[in-house]
Amino acid sequence: MDHSGPLLQAREISKSFSGIRVLDDINFDLRRAEVHALVGENGAGKSTLMNIVSGVVRPDAGEILWDDRPIRLDGPRDAQALGISFVHQELALVPQLSVAENIFLGRHPARFGFVNVGEMYARARRVLKELGCQLDTRQTVAQLSLAERQFVEIARAVAFKSRLIIMDEPTAPLADHDANALFQCIRLLRSQGVSVIYISHRLKEIFAISDRVTVLRDGKHVLTQPTSQVTMEGLVRAMIGAKLKERLASSSAGAIKAEEALSIRGPLNLTVRCGEIVGLAGLAGAGRTELLEWVFGAGEISTRQVFVGGKLVSLRNPVDAIRNGLALVADDRKAKGLVLSASVLDNIALAGGRSRFYIRRSQEKQDAQRWVGSLHIKVAGLDQPIIYLSGGNQQKVVLAKWLYAGARVFLLDEPTRGIDVGAKVEIYDMIRALAENGAAILMASSEVEELMGLADRIIVMHRGRIAGELARTEATEEKIMHLATGAAN
Amino acid sequence: MAGLLRKLGPLLALLILCAVLAGASDRFFTADNLFNILRQSSVNTLVSLGQLVVIITAGIDLSVGSILGLCCVLVALLMRSGVPPLFSVIAVITIGTIMGAINGVLLTKLHLPHPFIPTLGMMNVARGLALVISGGFPISELPLGFRLLGAGRIGWIPTPVILVATFCGAFYVFLGRTTVGRDVYAIGGNPQAARLSGVPVDARLILVYALSGLTAAAGAIILAGRMNSGFPLAGVGLELDSIAAVVIGGASFLGGVGTVSGTLAGALIMGVLRNGLNLLNVSAAWQTVVIGIVIVAAVWVDVVRQRAARKRND
Repeated sequence: MDHSGPLLQAREISKSFSGIRVLDDINFDLRRAEVHALVGENGAGKSTLMNIVSGVVRPDAGEILWDDRPIRLDGPRDAQALGISFVHQELALVPQLSVAENIFLGRHPARFGFVNVGEMYARARRVLKELGCQLDTRQTVAQLSLAERQFVEIARAVAFKSRLIIMDEPTAPLADHDANALFQCIRLLRSQGVSVIYISHRLKEIFAISDRVTVLRDGKHVLTQPTSQVTMEGLVRAMIGAKLKERLASSSAGAIKAEEALSIRGPLNLTVRCGEIVGLAGLAGAGRTELLEWVFGAGEISTRQVFVGGKLVSLRNPVDAIRNGLALVADDRKAKGLVLSASVLDNIALAGGRSRFYIRRSQEKQDAQRWVGSLHIKVAGLDQPIIYLSGGNQQKVVLAKWLYAGARVFLLDEPTRGIDVGAKVEIYDMIRALAENGAAILMASSEVEELMGLADRIIVMHRGRIAGELARTEATEEKIMHLATGAAN
Repeated sequence: MAGLLRKLGPLLALLILCAVLAGASDRFFTADNLFNILRQSSVNTLVSLGQLVVIITAGIDLSVGSILGLCCVLVALLMRSGVPPLFSVIAVITIGTIMGAINGVLLTKLHLPHPFIPTLGMMNVARGLALVISGGFPISELPLGFRLLGAGRIGWIPTPVILVATFCGAFYVFLGRTTVGRDVYAIGGNPQAARLSGVPVDARLILVYALSGLTAAAGAIILAGRMNSGFPLAGVGLELDSIAAVVIGGASFLGGVGTVSGTLAGALIMGVLRNGLNLLNVSAAWQTVVIGIVIVAAVWVDVVRQRAARKRND
């Protein structure tokens, strides 16, 4: 077999859904033992292209070659048989089963229909060891952290001698140092001859891990270059066709009033003033999400004493928090922020519409429409089921919900997670606009550049405690990481 | 278009069914028979309204039949003991609502894993109490004024039909036009997001099960009036009939989906089927077989419709 040609070639692939051209004459090739990054805004066509490569969807036109032979994929099984695996953003594991059982899900080593349990565990151990992972194969997946679950998914792909592993936003739920372990794993796979297609919005990672990068925009191929030959700006410009740096540059701080909007005394001491954006940095497990949810009354039942607007209030649950003008934009909008079975209007009115018993539809629609307009939410109509909106627009609906409810203190947890660059910038603008209007913002994020661009002050957490605080002018990535890893102690 | 089909689907099925039966038997489409169907479906429709609200929250109420039985016995007992019918009715409705609320309290405060469990327990407790209180015997000869509720007419419309229509209207407004109704859909769609958006989830769940108890009690009043007797085995199997009506009407066990019009159509489909098959001299046993098939077929049609809608939107 000739090992010098490309492993995978997609030629002139086109695909339309409901009359909309999603992929337009795409040419894409993947070499053997290559880590190839695929970037582009939501709607650029990355997921569709990968769905075609992994057999989930058939292209309208074009062909795919594997090992220089044209192939026809009638379903994911055909792709898996060739050695193509897809690790999705939403991990497809069964939490109640063990690590080994998940690795061999659907493909257990069996004889005459009886699973060979010993062999299953032995092979699982071997695969994990190859990946440099220390997990106990007998643990149930429910007990694992997100980062560990990711390893199980990858082990699944490796156990079946995959030659191509497609990873969709693998680091979205991870903080920086978990991501490093993942990168080690990817490098190991590459050294073993496996190719990886890596889809990510985190451009820093592209530079850390990939050999080549391909940019798609609006269904068209924009560029494919060795990563060493592109710059961050060049990439972003290719993705959104505009200069990002200007838009991310921090504007001079709007007037921060002297009034305290939110103040917490013990277990931590923290204050946010009106018009201020306070960033919350830290590694996974530092306690940022826990802190925000505690303030909001979302944690276990206990009464917390918090100063809102200078007054001491008792918050027992989210109802109390909302009544006092607090808002929580949680880290997982699908699980915690939106009712996917409902319409856009019902989601927007969910938190604020509670003052009266009877709904005044026309008034509600008017108010909701106002927010849809000012947040530039792309909807076909207020009655559209929210499940059809893109991630960025869904997140905007979450923000609209809190604006509709009249919140003045915003607790944001990873507000731009899983959102493409274009929408991210819009959300940054919105956050700044909120602050300029006098709202107080406490924002947790794993993306340090995001915090440095937006926050007036950055508080760094480590193991449930505040490790330190940095003003915008003195904050650097090293200092933040220093505090976040506890090296300062 | 797709939304319209979803809303009118069960109604359409009902009309088609009526057309078929009208063709099969000339006794079907008479005013007398149609009012018969309405009267016979009234108890199930009422109880199904309460079940609908519960199922929208992704819950289930297995105790409605037993609460109905208990209330049936209680109302008869109270009136036999000399309590005026009006107060007996009020007392029994209150008791039914409280029993439903107990289901809700058990579910939320004891953190039971699924509403199946408290309502299953209540199903047995209520039925047992009904048998204990009545000694196993029906309590007959109820006051005339009371019987009019179940067997009388206002004009040429049977009283139960008016009652059920009123309840349907009230539940329609409750679910579609009030914030509490919207909260109910939100809890079914995503309880965690609902909670984080300020919905008082526990309070709403207790309310929802209380409503189910209320409709069961109301159903008991109608049934006792019609049968002129409070009998302890009233409502046996009714929980499954109410679930069937709700499900045929397009609600989802996963929660967040369901309408009053659909449930009404579902209950009427079952009533029309039973009545029509009766007219065609099909035995009660075979009727049960047919209804079972219809339940599966109705849900399957809804599934097909949903998948087609999703494909169109991809």
